[in-house]
Amino acid sequence: MTPAKIRFEHVRKEFPVRGKDGGPAQSFTALDDITLDVRTGEFLALVGPSGCGKSTLLDLLGGLTTPSSGRILLDGKIIEGPARDRGIVFQQYALFPWRTAAQNVEFGLDIAGVKARERREKAQHYLDLVGLSGFADRYPHELSGGMKQRVAIARSLAYDPEVLLMDEPFAALDAQTRETLQVELLRIWRSTGKTILFITHGIDEAVVLGQRVAVMTSRPGRIKQLIDIPDELHSETEDVRSLPGFGHVRHEVWSLLRDEVLKAQGSQVVALGGEPVAKAKELAHV
Amino acid sequence: MSNLEILTLLELAEGSPRDRARQRAGVVVAARGSLVRWFGIIGQRCLLLLLFLAVWETAPRLGLIDVTFLPPFSEVIAAGWQLAQSGELYDDVAASLLRALSGFLIAIVLFVPLGVLTGWYARLGDLLNQIIEIARNTAPLALLPVFILLLGIGELSKVTMVIYSCAWPLLLNTIAAVRQVDPLLIKSARTMGATPSQLFRKVILPASLPTIFVGIRLASASAMLVLVASEMVGAKSGLGFLIINSQYSFLIPQMYFGILGITVIGLAFNAILEALERRLMRWKAPAV
Repeated sequence: MTPAKIRFEHVRKEFPVRGKDGGPAQSFTALDDITLDVRTGEFLALVGPSGCGKSTLLDLLGGLTTPSSGRILLDGKIIEGPARDRGIVFQQYALFPWRTAAQNVEFGLDIAGVKARERREKAQHYLDLVGLSGFADRYPHELSGGMKQRVAIARSLAYDPEVLLMDEPFAALDAQTRETLQVELLRIWRSTGKTILFITHGIDEAVVLGQRVAVMTSRPGRIKQLIDIPDELHSETEDVRSLPGFGHVRHEVWSLLRDEVLKAQGSQVVALGGEPVAKAKELAHV
Repeated sequence: MSNLEILTLLELAEGSPRDRARQRAGVVVAARGSLVRWFGIIGQRCLLLLLFLAVWETAPRLGLIDVTFLPPFSEVIAAGWQLAQSGELYDDVAASLLRALSGFLIAIVLFVPLGVLTGWYARLGDLLNQIIEIARNTAPLALLPVFILLLGIGELSKVTMVIYSCAWPLLLNTIAAVRQVDPLLIKSARTMGATPSQLFRKVILPASLPTIFVGIRLASASAMLVLVASEMVGAKSGLGFLIINSQYSFLIPQMYFGILGITVIGLAFNAILEALERRLMRWKAPAV
């Protein structure tokens, strides 16, 4: 058994919220009792209904906020604030529009005080890795959405973090670009050996990418179940989506999510008088 | 890389096949037409201006307007030529430029950093907000007598007026610029371990530059406006002085030439700022 790279121990996160109608301040529990190990070099996909605290989990890992209780360990050490041992890729790319693709990739190295020449070499290396060799001097507004996300991935890899945290990175892309990038990401993962925690609300995406899929409950977010994805679904040559095994695993994840989606949407569905199951199906398909 | 991806890249680099065919067919026509079109565009842009100057030249000559109050354009230029030869024009332009530029630059040096600080530290912003609101709603020209009383009619009062009038557009736009920086960019830089000072230099400043530039351009317009007005009230040189003095002395062509001088300086200021803006902000997507 490989050792845990990231370890969540009973992590709980509460936010203070203003009370209704000027009432006393209350607290809102986003995450509750999250316990989870991410193994070294593992690709773990995390799915959950919207609003289950996925992004809060990522903020905690990124060191942007601290847990209300419990602790998060990276290589056995408690996470204290942001650092370059973790790279984050955001859904909206978060590229700096005044920097070219190469300069964006250089950002983390620039911050770290790496010399200009070395920076340029590394930027070129990682742009090559994500398939954007000829686009080093383009500004973000001159790139398509898929290319921007490639630059963002290269930027996060450039300073050589231990783990890569990805917050629904392909959600804003069209279906074809998304599939291409999923394949590319798996290739990059295999060639770099990074530990990747990939947050998504897409069941297909989770099954295609993850070695394991962690399903979260609706608010407050907990880990409901961990599902191992059989290796045959990570074949580099076959169309894994057409394998019978894919359908089985997909259905398993879908069933686990359905109840949570129902719970999350319950009040709305009842109020609308809609059919809960149909609604859940629709939501879980995204 | 998948085939699909490569195809997309190729299209980006070369244009789709259909585009290319169209381009080739168009080359011949374009070469012949480009010269004509070029003159056409220049003509189109200048058409109204030429028309305006023509009316200015002919209307007084045809007696449509009293020549005393609106001399023909050529006479205004001739009067300007005389002013230039006597050296009077040089003195006035130099005086105005010196006041406008020094006031404008001092204002930028003082108020852009202050605006950045005010935008960044919310508490400082709350503190200054009321004062800024009061001061910016007090028209600078209304304060002209106060400045003259306190600082005399020399250079100091005029430069101070310019600084004062530039302060508000600079301050307000800079504060807004810093506050509007995309929080995601800040978050992204923080996760990469940026220190507060790095965050400031490498994210906040470049991200706010476009909006700060809006303030700089507004300030330059305001600088000219206030300068001319203050030169009209109490000065012995400058274009504002030239205009008002010519009017008092009934040298009407000279007066019009002074006005033209203001226009040219304003246009030049704007052109320089635009060029600077284009240079600094090459990364911006062209406005559609």
